[in-house]
Amino acid sequence: MSEHHLDIIRQVLDRQLVDANHNHCGKVDDVELELKGEPKVIALLVGNEYASDRLPEFARYVSRKLFGRRRLKIPWSEVSVITDDIKLAQDAKEYGLDERKGFVFEFISKLPGAWKK
Amino acid sequence: MKNILEVFLGILTAMGGFVEIGELVFTVNAGVKFGYKLLWMVVVGTVGIIVFGEMSGRIAAVSSQPVFYFIRQRAGYGAGLLTLIAANLASLLTCAAEIGGIAILLKLLFGGNYFLLAFLTLVFLLLVVWFLSFQAIERIFGLLGLLMLVFVAAAFWLGPDWTSMASGFIPSVPQLETTSDYFVYAYFAVALLSSIMLPYETYFYASGGIEDGWNPSAINQNRIIVIVGFSLGALLAVALMIIGALYFAPLLIEPQMPGTAAMAPAFLFGKWGLIIALLGMFFAFSGAAIENALTGAYNISQFFGWNWGKYRVPKDAPRFHLAWMIMFVLAALIIFTGVDPVEVVEYSIVFSIVILPLTYLPMLLAGRDTDYMGPYANGWLAGILGWAYFVLICIAALAAIPLLIITHGGKG
Repeated sequence: MSEHHLDIIRQVLDRQLVDANHNHCGKVDDVELELKGEPKVIALLVGNEYASDRLPEFARYVSRKLFGRRRLKIPWSEVSVITDDIKLAQDAKEYGLDERKGFVFEFISKLPGAWKK
Repeated sequence: MKNILEVFLGILTAMGGFVEIGELVFTVNAGVKFGYKLLWMVVVGTVGIIVFGEMSGRIAAVSSQPVFYFIRQRAGYGAGLLTLIAANLASLLTCAAEIGGIAILLKLLFGGNYFLLAFLTLVFLLLVVWFLSFQAIERIFGLLGLLMLVFVAAAFWLGPDWTSMASGFIPSVPQLETTSDYFVYAYFAVALLSSIMLPYETYFYASGGIEDGWNPSAINQNRIIVIVGFSLGALLAVALMIIGALYFAPLLIEPQMPGTAAMAPAFLFGKWGLIIALLGMFFAFSGAAIENALTGAYNISQFFGWNWGKYRVPKDAPRFHLAWMIMFVLAALIIFTGVDPVEVVEYSIVFSIVILPLTYLPMLLAGRDTDYMGPYANGWLAGILGWAYFVLICIAALAAIPLLIITHGGKG
């Protein structure tokens, strides 16, 4: 993939992240760039801290208080394909993006029928 | 053959799911207050929901990308988040109104404590959405909502004067006695438009298309279902307005409670008329409550990029499943505060129209975007109608709150 012709705003920012097993695992909340010489994307930034940074001051404060300050960096080299979505090379849990853990999962997965199609 | 059956069932489902509590309350009362004079607004609203329903179904069929992906990509995080909050608040209020309405119906059917019945409604809805598949929910509540056709039979039975009824389909401002009557007329016009074009409908429709696994070959099928199904559904709204004009107005009754509307079929067809009407309303309101709760969950999951959809095993989409449960619980909590459910209906309708431009603009932009839609982008007809309706709903949105205040919620 050539980074030179990538429209970061339209093709990367706010796009859906999909892991190697087709699970949705969040959005690209921001990108990290290297501006030395030719600008280059270094990493995809995921988490409420980054998303909140894009809000006006008061909303940013509320959003962080309510939803925390999670920050995750996914190196650009982990991106395998860019279509409408951004496909990652490995499973979501390798990046800490798997939603099948934590208290929401614990609750839902204990309900009868939660494992049945 | 299978396709014909699909289209037929789709039409019936769209028809049975057309009327929900807000529409019922406002169409009957518009009939009481203004006779047939606001019938034209049912047509305006129905064409509007057909335009946007067709567009959102086409978006779902062409792109596997649901609408809130597009909203976030094009509007950015901040403006997208604002749209998400507004859309989900409208869905929450509508869901609460439906739950309150269902509790009232159950009270009429079985008697008992209103709050206990609201609680049982909550449990019923949670169990239904958890255990039934998306397709089963869609069919059961859409088809059983058709029991409301007893209102169409009742309207016929009352023998409307067809000539004066036909003149009601021509947009007009009638001669009214006082200035405040004109404001009330305008308030009802705006509320009818809102109740027919409620914002959740298109979001739900778009995500539902993805749940059903639509692809571009479904575009024509979608078009037929939307046009025929919604037009037939509008018949029900017309019938309710006739009932308001011919049955309730002479009795000087303004049916505030949704269950009161069932008095007309009860009077005309006896006990079974009443039971069929109440059951029809029960399924129609329940269907709308479910659609609103799911819409809230679709929107939020799509905005934040979580796994979503009833088609997924719940353990693989835990946040999505928790989200619709929370929607139901919050909606029920609104009812548990003891607020008058009719007021919730009214506020849900007015709030919905205020945010309608915010919800329909992204749909319009997505539908016309050739990057997103390829050869299936809006044609000239969808484009012209889409923008014309966008202007109309913007005007209605600006007028809604002043009219609510000036008319004291339509009371004059």
